[in-house]
Amino acid sequence: MADLNTVKIEEGKQYICVKLGDEQYGIDIQYVDNIVRMQKITRVPKAQSYFKGVINLRGEIVPVMSLRLKFDLEPDAYSNATRIIIIKLEQQASVGVIVDEVREVVTLEDSCIDKPTYDGADGKSMYISGVGKHGEELISLLNIADVIIEKDNI
Amino acid sequence: MDVSQYLEIFIDETKEHLQNLSDELLILEKEPDNSSTINEIFRAAHSLKGMAGTMGYKRMQKLTHNMENVFSEIRNAKMKVKPALVDTLFRGLDALEGYLDNIQNTADEGTEDNEPILDSLNQILNEGLGIEAPAKKEEPVKAAPVGDNGSVAKFQELSVADFEIHAMKKAKDGGQNVFGITVYIQESCILKAARAFLVFKALEELGEVVKAFPDVQDIEDEKFDFDFSVILLSREPADKIKEEILRVSEIKSAVIGEFQIPDQPTAENKENNTAAPVHEEAPAPAAAVQAATAAKPPQPEQNATVKKGATTSKPVVNRSVRVDIEKLDVLMNLVSELIIAKNGLVSIGANETSGNTATAAFNEQIEYLERVTTNLHESVMKVRMMPIESVVNKFPRMIRDLSKKLGKKMELYMSGEDTELDRTVIDEIGDPLMHLLRNAADHGLESNEERRSLGKPEVGSVWLDAYQDGNNVVIEVRDNGKGIDTESVKNKAIEKGTITPEQAETMTKKDIIDLLFRPSFSTAEKITDVSGRGVGLDVVKTKIEKLGGDIECKTTLGEGSNFIIRLPLTLAIIQALMVELGDEKYAIPLGCIQTIEDVSMDDIKYVQTKEVINLRGTVIPLIRLDEVLDVEPRKEAPESLTVVIVSKGDKLAGLVVDNLIGQLEIVIKSIGKYINNDKIISGAAILGDGEVALIIDANALV
Repeated sequence: MADLNTVKIEEGKQYICVKLGDEQYGIDIQYVDNIVRMQKITRVPKAQSYFKGVINLRGEIVPVMSLRLKFDLEPDAYSNATRIIIIKLEQQASVGVIVDEVREVVTLEDSCIDKPTYDGADGKSMYISGVGKHGEELISLLNIADVIIEKDNI
Repeated sequence: MDVSQYLEIFIDETKEHLQNLSDELLILEKEPDNSSTINEIFRAAHSLKGMAGTMGYKRMQKLTHNMENVFSEIRNAKMKVKPALVDTLFRGLDALEGYLDNIQNTADEGTEDNEPILDSLNQILNEGLGIEAPAKKEEPVKAAPVGDNGSVAKFQELSVADFEIHAMKKAKDGGQNVFGITVYIQESCILKAARAFLVFKALEELGEVVKAFPDVQDIEDEKFDFDFSVILLSREPADKIKEEILRVSEIKSAVIGEFQIPDQPTAENKENNTAAPVHEEAPAPAAAVQAATAAKPPQPEQNATVKKGATTSKPVVNRSVRVDIEKLDVLMNLVSELIIAKNGLVSIGANETSGNTATAAFNEQIEYLERVTTNLHESVMKVRMMPIESVVNKFPRMIRDLSKKLGKKMELYMSGEDTELDRTVIDEIGDPLMHLLRNAADHGLESNEERRSLGKPEVGSVWLDAYQDGNNVVIEVRDNGKGIDTESVKNKAIEKGTITPEQAETMTKKDIIDLLFRPSFSTAEKITDVSGRGVGLDVVKTKIEKLGGDIECKTTLGEGSNFIIRLPLTLAIIQALMVELGDEKYAIPLGCIQTIEDVSMDDIKYVQTKEVINLRGTVIPLIRLDEVLDVEPRKEAPESLTVVIVSKGDKLAGLVVDNLIGQLEIVIKSIGKYINNDKIISGAAILGDGEVALIIDANALV
């Protein structure tokens, strides 16, 4: 069993495949700490517009951002499938991102990933590190660190 | 046995000795003839040398040895204390600190030989002695007249086995001396075994230990009182052996004499036995006696310093354990969790409105739990508290150096060094304080000539006062220098475009001084020249605000400036007033709340189109929290407003809230670094029902 797992990891990276509107995004699983259901979010005044506020995650305060607002999509309509993915980039600093739906965990080999075409005019293209092909479907792979850490000049 | 396990003691003690040396050197510089100080210095240097030697730090030993030589000459009145000498000695101290840092980080002293310091030490030594014949370096320590409270030569009672007698006889025939030694350790000593080990190590270098009582294993296991005896075969004279033993710290005394080999009483032995065994006290009492006999006006103070020095080098018995700060953090977190859980119970209890007996009992238990958690929290906080002394005791030295460098005469007065602060604050507060002191010395105080012409005492004064004020600790850095010229600050600010001339008109003196704390001011070199202030004050402010405190400055032109730092006693858990704004709940720290007022709409006046109230003679600006925090306003305008009056230093402001909920003990949690909040929100707290309430930083609003 253990052998199987190691082999799998060597083959490629694992991504959590989430849905946002009509598009599918992949988040590198190594940054994902947890996936929780939608819960009450406390608004933080004067925060960036895409930050919905903070939640109480088992005694820890975790800020939550809306990927939809970050990507200039329609505002979130919360449903039963809405989830908050807790991203842990570094110790003691978690961030939650709201997604419409969590689909599955996929393993993508390097050969299945196309590098994105860089478009300097499009500020959002930097959030995508590549496009993965999984069967018939295309998954935009998120460069999650850049999504979360605001760069002032862009 | 391996010395590494004593590394920690070594580091701690070395630090203590170095601090001691630095303090005493400062005194010595002022009073070159103070014999008790020089004795104290000599003693500290001597133990330092011995400790470094035992631990095998040769370079450190060499440097201390050279410094000790100088001290010894001063003690014997062969040399005068000169500023250049003190400078060199301070450089030596710095080098020793460098070694210590290396040892602390890598358990190795490093490879820096510090030759220049050694050279100048030797040069001073040669110059000071002039053509005098190289005098005997170490004056024999005077035997103290004090009684030796029961230090008897217990070694004579040792019973020895046949083979040991044989060995001793053989050694004696081979020209070695057979010494019996009884070593007394100070009763305050915590690690007796370590001391004993150091003694053994020293002895083994001088000869061969044939017998020990209690035996070596028991000594290692600390199975002995405060003395132990050994029989040593050595070619060295008794004095030298004794000196080596006394070099180990915390050894009270050592009794040494010829050991009488049983059944072999030779004439020589008899003679040795009838003569009282050579016995000496450690030099401490001698120093005390000298201090007492010298009778000069500044005497009481001197005596006090000596006593202080003596107590620091011989730690009083305090039963303590070392705890890793991380373990304390874990404990603190658990206490936080407990308080959150307790708040949960409180809110359930509050919802049970049916007044039957079961709820009454329930509430009683909750109140009990509340008391316990509050006490527990306080205790844990206290464990984390440290006296501010560890930070400030390096400042006298710094001021001395600055005084030399700037060519200004100045004096630092400190008070409240025993004021306690949280460990995390202690670690951070050093730099800002140092910065303020430097500012005071560099820019605040005038030059000697200027002071004279102004009719001020030539020697400038800088004060550092720490004291507790309610839930805060206040640290003041004051000087009696020239103060801040607000006019020139204002002009510069206008020139730089920081403020407009119109703005400048309406600015109070305090507003202008606050300009100095702005980041834009720190880089402006011109301002520094004119006002003499402003370099990096914004950094100081940021740091202090990060610690949850604030800083303000009061200044009188020509009389001096006063920087007042307020720091919260506790960082993690505070009492707060819960308020409601629309549907949202916010917490306002109780520490900054003055009063709560009910203000009728008619009482609201307007000044410069801003809402104010006149509260018992004080005009207080109103801040509509719902507008500041973008909360949806309530529909109907109420007849009266609930206003929470908060203060920051002398400034007051009234926060308008919709509703008061009550007082609650909250645990401050960070809301993370990714989310912006304009500094209005200082953190978040989890309420009893799991909801999150944001904590309003009143300091940012006022």
